[in-house]
Amino acid sequence: MDRRKIPVDLILAKLAAEAEAAKHRLERARDIFHGPLATDIGTTPYEPVYQADRVRLKYYRPDAARLKIPLLLVHGLFNRETLLDLQPGRSVVHNLLKEGVEVYLIEWGSPTRRDQFLTLDDHINGYMDDMVEFIRRRHGVPQVNLLGVCLGGTFAVIYAALHPEKIRNLITTATPTHFNTPKGLLHIWMQEIDVDRLVNAFGNLPGSLVNAAFLLLNPPRLLLDKYLGFLENMDDKDFVENFIRMEKWIFDSPDVPGETVRQVIKDLYQDNLLVQGKMRLGGRRVDLRRVTMPLLNIYGQFDHLVPPEACEVLAEKVGSRDTENVCLDTGHVGIYVSSRFQKETIPKIAAWLLAREG
Amino acid sequence: MAPENSGQIASEPLLAAWIKWTMDFWDTMAQMGPGLAGAGRTGGQASRETAVSGDPWLAALNLWQAFFSLLTEPGTVAAVFQGIQAPSKIILRMAQAGWGGYSHLHQQWLEGWQGDGSPSGEDGYENLDQDIFKTCNEIFEADFRRLLNLPHLCLTGLPQDRVNRATEKFKQFQAAMAEFIYLLYLPVKKSLRAMNGVGGLGRQENPPEDFKEYYKGWLKILEGHYMTLFQSAEYIRTLTHTLHALEDFTTAKQELLSEAMAAVGLPTRREMDDLYREIYLLKKSVKVMARKLDRREPSREEG
Repeated sequence: MDRRKIPVDLILAKLAAEAEAAKHRLERARDIFHGPLATDIGTTPYEPVYQADRVRLKYYRPDAARLKIPLLLVHGLFNRETLLDLQPGRSVVHNLLKEGVEVYLIEWGSPTRRDQFLTLDDHINGYMDDMVEFIRRRHGVPQVNLLGVCLGGTFAVIYAALHPEKIRNLITTATPTHFNTPKGLLHIWMQEIDVDRLVNAFGNLPGSLVNAAFLLLNPPRLLLDKYLGFLENMDDKDFVENFIRMEKWIFDSPDVPGETVRQVIKDLYQDNLLVQGKMRLGGRRVDLRRVTMPLLNIYGQFDHLVPPEACEVLAEKVGSRDTENVCLDTGHVGIYVSSRFQKETIPKIAAWLLAREG
Repeated sequence: MAPENSGQIASEPLLAAWIKWTMDFWDTMAQMGPGLAGAGRTGGQASRETAVSGDPWLAALNLWQAFFSLLTEPGTVAAVFQGIQAPSKIILRMAQAGWGGYSHLHQQWLEGWQGDGSPSGEDGYENLDQDIFKTCNEIFEADFRRLLNLPHLCLTGLPQDRVNRATEKFKQFQAAMAEFIYLLYLPVKKSLRAMNGVGGLGRQENPPEDFKEYYKGWLKILEGHYMTLFQSAEYIRTLTHTLHALEDFTTAKQELLSEAMAAVGLPTRREMDDLYREIYLLKKSVKVMARKLDRREPSREEG
């Protein structure tokens, strides 16, 4: 067999150099870890203006409001809303404020066992509707703008279909509406989950299980490469702080109310009822043709959690004539934390809303 | 010396019987092992042949059997009962047999790592050889489980049932988890094999000098293997099975805890859940009524 020579001496020399560099890196890292680190998340100042049970509404006031209609941000239940305010330089909330948007953000809180019976209807027609009502009264406006994040976007779409008169403009980001796609691993796995057994055993879906499922989507990157990257950059204070912030967010998944999980998995992931116009909530059919307000649908080309195929059909299914699909060159979390999203897409959102204020 | 000798001779049939029984037992175990490759043949021959084909389960049994085979040889037995006349000979031969078996295991491990003894395909994850997990389960089901399911009588019967049930479900969860973790390890094994195989980075015409290049190449291959695995029917079956085992264990654990809580007069989880449901329904009713009142308020003011 003709085997090529591997330059072992060169490899060893490089390894030796690497070892030397690693030693210096460790020394610098030690100083960083012993010193003060700014790793808090959700640091943009806000005012808690509404609370019902575990759910709170946070209000963020811009220095100078450019838009008359406030924007309500709805995050999903499987992760914390702090993703939208992760770090000072790269905060969706902060950058929306800079654009002169008045921002409200729903904090779903930490469900306990007593919340296990809360349904999708309680979240959408209950808490969400109460908060929309609160904002309408507070600002004296007939409608609010709605921006949904991930499964929170699905909530926003359902809400807009059931209460179109209360929504001026709808923005969805990484929002699944077509769940029957073989492109996303989550969509494949969910088909086989016996959600009744799951909910009956646990009551609420444990956050630790959610975390494990997310990690299993790409173990080489999420369990290995990420931490090797951290070791290589642990002498960079900014990197360390941002890394820890992200870790805090990732591993802080709350439990999710059992009945809501049951309905999400059965009606959405397994039966794909929403996009077929067959889903029912609070005794009413969710008809996407009633989504007649302008729609801006943003998603990531490399999103392994919510693939483009799960997002892009929404624009075709709604009744609105003013729709726009924006496919970004990024993954799921990248939509909210990437520099490009912060620099380009948020000003675009603000401009899009401003043009549709009427 | 005469009395000692007579005593030794009397012990020989007993030792031989015990050794034979032990060998029969391990022979049966070997036949229960993965692949059942040795079924229908004599235990020793079958297991030796199968072990060569790369089965660690049988290799371990072979090691054990080799030890006992050595003991059953007339010379060895006689040597044992000659007292301390030839201890070094025995120890040497036993050590040789043991070392031979260990070397064989090690060789198999290396072969498995290099891919020669792999039971599964190069890229796919269907028809995986996971008989070791099935065998463990079969042993548990056939023997230990029966003990856990013995009926319990009198006052302590019910708590014992709960403890046994939780133990059984825990064991089943552990078995399912082991199978799941094994499945998660397979892509690592396959990716390393791919790196070493023809066309791998190490076999290229101009192999990279930078270690990071090897790492990046390996990571890419590893990701590809995981993506293939995660979409396979085998993975989804194992994932579902593991989840079910976890759910069953959680339920059994809760039942056991409820028993203990009831014994000390604390409300059980079920009782609390019933209470939570009542509160939930009450709050919902109040909310509906409050909304109706809100809608009626303006008309009252107007009136």
